[in-house]
Amino acid sequence: MANVVIMPRQGQSVESCIITAWQKKKGDHVEVKDILFSYETDKSAFDEPSQFSGTVLEVLWNEGDVVPCLEPVCIIGEPGEDISALLPKKAEAQAATEAPKADEAPKAAAEAAATVSESSGERVFISPRARKLALESGVDMTKVVSTGPHGRIIERDINKALDQGFVATTEKVELFLAGKPVETDNEAEESAAPAPAAAAAAPADLRAYDEEPLSNVRKVIAKSMHQSLAEMAQLTLNSSFNAKSLLDYRAKLKAGAETLGLGKITINDMVLYAVSRILPKYPEINANLVDGKFRKFRHANVCVAVDTDRGLLVPVIFGAEAMTLSEIAKRSKELASQAREGKCSPDDMSGGSFTVSNLGSMGVESFTPVINPPQTAILGVCCTTNRLDAEGKVYPAMGLSLTFDHRAVDGAPAAKFLKELCTALENFELLLAK
Amino acid sequence: MPKSQYVDPGKVFTPGFIEFEKIPLCQYKKTLAEEKKIYSKEDFLRIYHDMRTIREFETMLNEIKTKSEYNGVKYNNPGPAHLSIGQEASAVGQAYCLDINDYTFGSHRSHGEILAKGLSSINKLDEKELYEIMKEFLGGQTLAVVEKNNKSGSIKDLAKDFLLYGALAEIFARTTGFNKGLGGSMHAFFIPFGILPNNAIVGGAAPIALGAALYKRSNHKKGIVVANSGDGALGRGPVLESLNFASMDQITKLWGMDGKYSSDGMPILFNVFNNFYGMGGQTMGETMGFTYPARLAAGFNPDQMHAEKVNGYDPLAVIDATTRKKEILLSGKGPALLEVTTYRVSGHSPSDASTYRTQEEIEAWKEACPIKAYRKKMVKGKIATEAEFDEIDRGIIDRITKIIKLAIDDEVSPRMDLSKNPDMISSIMFSNQHVKSMDETREPEVLMPKEENPRVKQIAGKSRYAFDDKGEAIPKMKLFNIRDGLFEAIIDKFYEDPTTIAYGEDNRDWGGAFAVYRGLTEALPYHRFFNAPISESAIVGSSVGYAVAGGRAIVELMYADFIGCAGDEIFNQLSKWQSMSAGILKMPVVLRVSVGSKYGAQHSQDWTALCSHIPGLKVCFPATPYDAKGLMNAALNGTDPVVFFESQRIYDKGEEFHKEGVPEGYYEVQFGDPDVKREGKDVTILTIGAVLYRALEAAKKLEEQYGISAEVIDARSMVPFNYEKVIESVKKTGKIIIVGDAVDRGSIMRDMASNITEMAFDYLDAPPAVFGSRNWITPAFELEKYYFPQADGIIDVIHEKLMPIPGHVTKYNETEAEHIERAKRGV
Repeated sequence: MANVVIMPRQGQSVESCIITAWQKKKGDHVEVKDILFSYETDKSAFDEPSQFSGTVLEVLWNEGDVVPCLEPVCIIGEPGEDISALLPKKAEAQAATEAPKADEAPKAAAEAAATVSESSGERVFISPRARKLALESGVDMTKVVSTGPHGRIIERDINKALDQGFVATTEKVELFLAGKPVETDNEAEESAAPAPAAAAAAPADLRAYDEEPLSNVRKVIAKSMHQSLAEMAQLTLNSSFNAKSLLDYRAKLKAGAETLGLGKITINDMVLYAVSRILPKYPEINANLVDGKFRKFRHANVCVAVDTDRGLLVPVIFGAEAMTLSEIAKRSKELASQAREGKCSPDDMSGGSFTVSNLGSMGVESFTPVINPPQTAILGVCCTTNRLDAEGKVYPAMGLSLTFDHRAVDGAPAAKFLKELCTALENFELLLAK
Repeated sequence: MPKSQYVDPGKVFTPGFIEFEKIPLCQYKKTLAEEKKIYSKEDFLRIYHDMRTIREFETMLNEIKTKSEYNGVKYNNPGPAHLSIGQEASAVGQAYCLDINDYTFGSHRSHGEILAKGLSSINKLDEKELYEIMKEFLGGQTLAVVEKNNKSGSIKDLAKDFLLYGALAEIFARTTGFNKGLGGSMHAFFIPFGILPNNAIVGGAAPIALGAALYKRSNHKKGIVVANSGDGALGRGPVLESLNFASMDQITKLWGMDGKYSSDGMPILFNVFNNFYGMGGQTMGETMGFTYPARLAAGFNPDQMHAEKVNGYDPLAVIDATTRKKEILLSGKGPALLEVTTYRVSGHSPSDASTYRTQEEIEAWKEACPIKAYRKKMVKGKIATEAEFDEIDRGIIDRITKIIKLAIDDEVSPRMDLSKNPDMISSIMFSNQHVKSMDETREPEVLMPKEENPRVKQIAGKSRYAFDDKGEAIPKMKLFNIRDGLFEAIIDKFYEDPTTIAYGEDNRDWGGAFAVYRGLTEALPYHRFFNAPISESAIVGSSVGYAVAGGRAIVELMYADFIGCAGDEIFNQLSKWQSMSAGILKMPVVLRVSVGSKYGAQHSQDWTALCSHIPGLKVCFPATPYDAKGLMNAALNGTDPVVFFESQRIYDKGEEFHKEGVPEGYYEVQFGDPDVKREGKDVTILTIGAVLYRALEAAKKLEEQYGISAEVIDARSMVPFNYEKVIESVKKTGKIIIVGDAVDRGSIMRDMASNITEMAFDYLDAPPAVFGSRNWITPAFELEKYYFPQADGIIDVIHEKLMPIPGHVTKYNETEAEHIERAKRGV
């Protein structure tokens, strides 16, 4: 009796996954727990172990195919077994091998477009006038940022892209407007670059490049980050605090943690702890803004930005306000390593109410973190620099950058939140005692 | 409210009684012997012939409608046929004593009146005149049909064919009909025979007939006007208004101006054919309380309109009474009212099952048939033999059989070919002529040289541009404003066209409620410029009749909201007669209406959409002195009906756009030509009326606060409207908002937005936005900013719908979500 292997559903919001690699091919023998194929959701990567032993009788999708969750992926059984009843009907089989490619292309294109110029689904919303101008000018549509009502591309958006020298070809504009894939190649940019003569004069091999499609994760980040900037009224406040007490306490922990079995506790964990205590007092900051409505969270679900090979991931520490410092440290480490290994489930990466992003370890003194939609704020943790206080004494100042969505939060409460956070961090031991 | 008439508190409370004279009922008592002294045998037989012709004509239509066959001729007529079988003696008796110069206006049941008046006129015209009339009419095409098929060699006989054929071809919608088939059964007329437009609206002809009488009265023309209606029409306001308007004291008491001009009364006879039923409603005993329509007349003036009731089943009694009424009118003692009691044996229409009357009643009236009774009387009195009458009958049946054959022959009597000539009806919706004077043979009657007019002198000292050399605003009192611009155009026309006449509520003495007419009282005699009673239907309806008769009228409704009081007259009469007459009639009428402010829900409405919706009206709404004068000149020099909107907010506005000032001389602003009042490149604001100034304020803010350059276009007129200029602007800016004070829903702004979308889709950067007033009542002045579009609101709508403006904080909620909610709630 042959068995059908289906594409698992990873998390409630996941509708389809992309097969990144087949570990077994048709005809291979598999044992239970042998990895059949690897796949990615929008946010994570997974390996699918076999639940059956036998021979791979049929592989229904190719690498790179986007497979709807719960759809058959391959069939495992005994060689020579009749699997015709299990196979999708011929037309469907055809579709299964060909259509997805065709389907995927526009989707990829649309997503690529969305990185810059599209904000509401796969259709390109553009005014007739902007469409006409785009076709006449051959603007590089992938560089156009929409600012019209309903996220519609209007004339001024095309003009802005043209002013910046983004020119492609009419054919590419047509493809883009038809929702078909457009290569966001550098050629176009080069042709529009200020010194095309020099570029043209360069030998061909110096102009060579390797073209790589964006990974799913990259596409999602791109879309999300652009959407964030396009739709929100973002504003960043920079502040700093005297980190002496924080650093002193950290030194104590370093010395005593092993003996108490507390594990490694980082500066970032301490910041997460402070944030988790203060967030509940600011419901607009501990919130999502969705379709004109606040979702004010009952818990501090703090996201930790983790840099991975695939790109930025932001797993959530749920209910951080009730966790001890060591619990937070432990959970944050778990999540970071899962994220780096691509093992975070999509459910671990949604439902966050606030995000903390730390670039301090890279020596960044101040930055403008981009809000993780639909959250209303994000805290950037910067490095420590030496400053002089009023009495001329040197003290370690640590920078904090709070970006907030002015649609949801006004400047004064945001500043108050930041100030309270600074005060808490300056008096970290007192905070712990609370 | 003339000062010459003193309302004396010492006299108005004197006790006493109103005395009424007796109103005669069927008092005609002449014997045949007496009648023989009045009528020759030929006259007697002609009366029979005319009645019998009407009877046969109506019988033929009844056969066609009910059996699709008459005398072996098969035809199907889907159009209406409101027949008057039984009423022939009433029609013929009336027409018998009317001359060519006397006009009849009728109802939807007027075939009999048309034929009777036509036959009477044929009898009275000499052959040469008659032939000329037929030859001239529609280039001779109607004559050509009957001439080919008439071998009698008699012009009068030919003319009978012409009359019957012209009427029937009209009823059957043929191009050879009296109005090329565009009027049809209920609207047929033939002015050369004194048959003026009949009307499908019950009572609709009364104010129009009044206007024709006013034309005769004010222009000293011969003849009287007969307003025919049924008894049912006496329930209609416009009829009662017309009875009152015609009876008003000033005509005999003030219009003479101390012997300088005529003091004659209005030369109009209100003739009521009382057939006892308004469709099925029985006026005597059910739907009215007067018992006799003649009773009504007693209430309108001390003369009781010389009312009497006459037996409409005896043509000789009708002739007697009508002749006496005509004499009264010609002696200057009009108006008069005559009730001609008759009966309609046929149904209201062929589908009438007579559920409202008994078969017994119908049979009794059939038995009393006026034609049968008349013939019997003639035979008995030895005036003619049965054989002679049979001979007349045969001739009529043969003629009508011949005529119907011609009228249904598609070769001989084609319908309009709208496939080959799709613009045939378009080309007659407006006459589009430029006529300085409707009567160049006469000098206008005025009371003083124009230069001596106090208002003219006052205006001469005013600045015709709003700013002085240094760019400072001229004080209002020294500024030539919109009301001055209107006045100048109007007084010029009064001194140029002797037929021009103006009236409305509080026009004379007061100078118009908003002082546009100040100075005209000194310039013009009463019969050219007077105060009308508060009777909007009669005011507008009479202007239609005044124009139909050949004059030019300026009428005023004070507030645009009162358009509702003159709905039929504006929407069915003023707008339609040029085209329903196939272009035979001209309609040089300017209807001034003023859009109010500060006066709440029934005195503040911009109803340009209602007027623009109705085909056949030109509609304008100027907002500057230059445009007001130029459009008024164009309206007054034209031959089409114009609803001229003005705004009470801006009557005192000076000219801010034409640096050289408003010209003193004549110039026209063409209808349909929108005007760029401010050039810009980023967004177009198209305005209707007074909102122009709020749009300019918005444009200024957009420029100063956001660096957005707005182009402001003033529509000036809504119908006609040339979209080319607007589309040019949209091509430049890609964005347009249309602003006006009318409520948003169903406004002309919405119509324009839809047209612009279709015409300039590829150039649009956003769908055209519309910003009108809320779909509410107009609130009190202090709350108006929440209702009428304001400058800030205009910017908000641009921000929400056309181009989000970085940094703009909205004051009004003009978001799409809000609009969806409002629509759901019907507001």
